[in-house]
Amino acid sequence: MCLAVPMQIIDIDGVDARCRARGVERLVSLFMLQHEAPQVGDWVLVHVGYALQRVDAEEARATWEVFDQLNAGEHPLA
Amino acid sequence: MPGQAQDWLTRIRELPLAAPLRIMNVCGGHERSISMAGLRTLLPPEIRLIPGPGCPVCVCPEEDIHQAIDWAMHQDVIVASFGDMLRVPANVARGEVRSLAEARAAGASVHAIASPQDALRIARENPQRKLVFHAVGFETTMAPIAAMIVEGLPPNLLLLNSGRLTWPAVAMLLESPDAGEEAGLDALIAPGHVATVMGPAEWDFVPTRHGIPTAIAGFTAESLLAAIHSVLEQSRTGQAALENCYGAAVRAGGNPLARRLLDTAFSVVDAPWRGIGTIARSGYALKDEFAAHDARLHLPATAGGRKAGEMPAGCDCARVVLGRISPTGCRLYGSACRPASPVGPCMVSDEGACRIWWASGVRAPSAG
Repeated sequence: MCLAVPMQIIDIDGVDARCRARGVERLVSLFMLQHEAPQVGDWVLVHVGYALQRVDAEEARATWEVFDQLNAGEHPLA
Repeated sequence: MPGQAQDWLTRIRELPLAAPLRIMNVCGGHERSISMAGLRTLLPPEIRLIPGPGCPVCVCPEEDIHQAIDWAMHQDVIVASFGDMLRVPANVARGEVRSLAEARAAGASVHAIASPQDALRIARENPQRKLVFHAVGFETTMAPIAAMIVEGLPPNLLLLNSGRLTWPAVAMLLESPDAGEEAGLDALIAPGHVATVMGPAEWDFVPTRHGIPTAIAGFTAESLLAAIHSVLEQSRTGQAALENCYGAAVRAGGNPLARRLLDTAFSVVDAPWRGIGTIARSGYALKDEFAAHDARLHLPATAGGRKAGEMPAGCDCARVVLGRISPTGCRLYGSACRPASPVGPCMVSDEGACRIWWASGVRAPSAG
């Protein structure tokens, strides 16, 4: 339950963002990252619908590789 | 396995190991990565990787589960909680409703949610009814719940709060091991996403006060193996220190806004852990200024008189959570207790060690 997944911000409206990862889109709250002023294109770690922290694209890629192995057939965002 | 992970594995195998080492993790996500990547079989046999207290669902007090079920069954409320919580069984007489999922099957309004935002939405869609959000989680999950609370709650949203902190459970293991039993760990892999929110410093006490090698890990095999290498090297040289092997997300001070939100919404109090007992300063309690949203203050305590804190009969979840035994050491693992018909919470939750071991193909010796 503490697992956070990297998602890329594709649109921002106030503290709400549309984020995408592996073809799945989610509405994500940026409320806890307001002090960092995240931008479209940034990758963020998302947990229970909230962005916890920014990560770089390389970390996002490496983490998704693990999820792809762990969840063969079961999408962590499903 | 990616090249960098292979490099770490080679470096670990080249280290001279003076003695067997028990390395505990306190995060269901770490245990999942370790189990699914098969790290136990790849590491030298002297290294034992032990799942410890890493599952908030597993330690959610039974009395809180009874309370949520009773409200769902007997009050005109909607109950919402994270999916895992719906299936956690409480101890009841045969024929009584023993989980929120069974309450839903019996006609109660019970929703599985994936986000605090879902609780907000359901409350707003049903302004005439109270929505009880049974909030369960460690710091990583409680920070978003704090954000939801501070952002502003609709008047009909109430919280049944079972949130917990992770480090106090490790402090309890190290400071007051049960009589006759030692702490059970020689090194610690500290939880990456808890540290992402809270910062690394709250784990400093493990190496500085207890001399236990400690490293914060992420969730890739590379990061976990880097952390394992770190604690082995610390152990070998006798220089215990806190190393951050998840620098991609864990920064000094963590997420300062998230920590401020936690401080605004919650006080830290002594709190019960199911099957384990009360752990000092290990629970989040809603602050007085949010009393209008405290479900316990606005709904009758119908679960009074229940025996508090027990795991189901025959279930060894409490000892699994504390890392005293491995899942296969439980008398029920794979026989009476399987994911399709779980007895204890460790077989219910995706973060539970038993569920993770079962999913990764580990079977009890007797069950083949």
